[in-house]
Amino acid sequence: MPDDRAPWESAPAPVLAGNRPDPSAEELAELRELLLGPERRRLRELEQRLDAIGVSGEELAELLPEAIALRTGRDRQLARALAPTVEGAISESVRRNPREIASAIFPVLGPAIRKAIAETLAGLLASINRTIEHSLSPRGLAWRLEAWRTGVPYAQIVLKHALIYRVEQVFLIHAETGLLLAHAWAPELKASDPELISGMLTAIRDFVADSFAREHEAGGLRRFSVGELTVMVEQGPRAVLAAVVRGQAPDSLLERLQDTLETVHAQFAGALADFDGDAAALEPARPLLEECLTTVVSTDQARERRGARAWLPWAIAALLLMVLLGGLAIRSHRRWSRAVTALESQPGIVLTRAERGGGRWRFAGLRDPLAPDPAAVLAGAAVDTAGIEQRWEPYISLQPAMVLARARRVLAPPTGVAVALTGDTLRLTGSAPLPWVITAGRASLPPGVAALDLNGVAPEIPADLARLAHEIEGQRVLFDIGSAALGGQARSVIAGVATSLQRLDAGVALIGARATLELIGRTDPTGSDSANQTLSRERAEAVVAALAARGVATGAARVSGLGTSRPLTDGSPDERARINRSVSFGVTVR
Amino acid sequence: MIQKKVCMVGVFGTGKTSLVQRFVHSMFSERYLSTVGVKIDRKPIQVDGADLTLVLWDLAGRDGHEDITASYLRGSHAILYVADGTRRETCDQLPELRALARGAAGEVPEVLALNKSDLKERWALAAADEQGLSRAFDLVRTSAKSGEGVEEVFRRIGRATLAIKEARS
Repeated sequence: MPDDRAPWESAPAPVLAGNRPDPSAEELAELRELLLGPERRRLRELEQRLDAIGVSGEELAELLPEAIALRTGRDRQLARALAPTVEGAISESVRRNPREIASAIFPVLGPAIRKAIAETLAGLLASINRTIEHSLSPRGLAWRLEAWRTGVPYAQIVLKHALIYRVEQVFLIHAETGLLLAHAWAPELKASDPELISGMLTAIRDFVADSFAREHEAGGLRRFSVGELTVMVEQGPRAVLAAVVRGQAPDSLLERLQDTLETVHAQFAGALADFDGDAAALEPARPLLEECLTTVVSTDQARERRGARAWLPWAIAALLLMVLLGGLAIRSHRRWSRAVTALESQPGIVLTRAERGGGRWRFAGLRDPLAPDPAAVLAGAAVDTAGIEQRWEPYISLQPAMVLARARRVLAPPTGVAVALTGDTLRLTGSAPLPWVITAGRASLPPGVAALDLNGVAPEIPADLARLAHEIEGQRVLFDIGSAALGGQARSVIAGVATSLQRLDAGVALIGARATLELIGRTDPTGSDSANQTLSRERAEAVVAALAARGVATGAARVSGLGTSRPLTDGSPDERARINRSVSFGVTVR
Repeated sequence: MIQKKVCMVGVFGTGKTSLVQRFVHSMFSERYLSTVGVKIDRKPIQVDGADLTLVLWDLAGRDGHEDITASYLRGSHAILYVADGTRRETCDQLPELRALARGAAGEVPEVLALNKSDLKERWALAAADEQGLSRAFDLVRTSAKSGEGVEEVFRRIGRATLAIKEARS
């Protein structure tokens, strides 16, 4: 065992113990004695002296750390040797004063245990700690709307609806005295007298510990609830961390507090041990406490729960939008069709272009000036004319309705006259004042009318002229049997008629008309028909001649001899023969 | 800010509560005394130009049946004993209370408030008794009614707690 030999024993060996072929053991020993004897003896003496004197405590104190370091570097013998002693010392220390050991290893133990657990559970725990502030979910928008509507700050609306929990206050309390070391609270919260709360929390903790001593051993007061508030208490050897939580405080929060408390113990070990009422040394611990002031809302959870049906409201909204747009499109198309149909079917209007696009409608075509206004046509078809462009060129329509309209406009017929178009002939029927009839007969024909038929219109002449004509028509010029000579009676009647005719002509001329005289000669039934025919004509011509002799314009007079073909039938048979030997008058005013 | 925990100890009816009621910042009702046996108040004072807050633990008075909860005394920086000068027995029990307090809080400064000093005609202590007490305690006569000695007793307590700190350091 080279380790057990002193260095000086092995050093010279390689030099002298050469590998000679036959060196006897005695020779070797002798040689060794000769060469090294004095030194060996001296060394042995020194050794003995050291053993006898021993090492002083001071020398040992100087040497011990170096010796331990040297030996620990070489092997594990020292550790093995010390293990039972250290174990004994620790167990003795724990037995005598457990708090000292507990507070010494507290900062190490907790994290180690939790790390192991956390690694096992990793992946199972999903973080729900995300605020709604960045959320654009429909719920988030609804809440923003509510905030806008009610004037309540958005954060409060969120808290009202979605708060799971919120850590409102955190107290760091000196374990022994119950004095407040540090305090953190939510910004908008009014913290009231944390020093007193800190003391009272400690008192309550002590009270619980004294009242339920056995249970206290297993952890003491960890949490208690007041209404919506829960107070969570995490105890450490030197300090206590208490959190006031609103809402459903999860157990994971206790772990968080524990973590914080351990950090405080590790970072402020000295300040905690030396605490004597001055909390200034613990002020730097406040940021650690502030980290615990979390607010957790239900955004994430809610989204997961509703995820499956989240599309439903959007789908309904989209459907409604499609129905709405479809309805609008159909309505718009119907209006369009109505407008086009109304314009196309309107006489006097020819639609040559109909377009729509870009929110505007454009109509163009021809329009008879007598046709109704297209805007009125569209309004009649219940189409709003706003936003419609129109361009109409004037033209003359030959559609019957337009021809009639134009004819009415040209002729201006009185109410008693009806106007109709047959082919290209305009027929007027009814009765009308004579002057109008005369004007109408002379009027120029409107386009689309080739002929004007006024025969169906009975002219209404002035009453005095009508009476005069009636008087003339009531006169008869009588003749003797078989004669066409004018007697005294005949001459006197002719004189009267001549006067009446002259007055009639003058009156008729005043209204632009003309009176046409008709003379009808007759005979009694005696004699042959042909003789009577001739006789009747001679009688009528005799009267014409007499009238002409009296200055009556008879150029246009119509003279006819009826013989006995259409006899006058009034009076007795004798009287009838007498009145038929006559010439009677007819007057036509035109 | 420096805070000090001060326990007020005394027999039931010595006027501890009325002693603090008018002179300290109170937040909790007196019901706490009968329920959890302690009521905590706050008294900010100035001692030699330094700001100090005394956190006063008013422990439920001893009435012969219930003991003072010892754990409340733990960690006290000072003890304020309160006795009633009109009731001799409240002073007689002081040594027992002191033993209890020292057992729980250790050797900390102590001040004795001899209360109800306004009731002179009912005063039950002879001059010799008071001398004996003042040898054992730092004694201050107080009256919650007139206010006599109240500020003084708190100032003495405060100074004592600070003196301890200086002595330690």
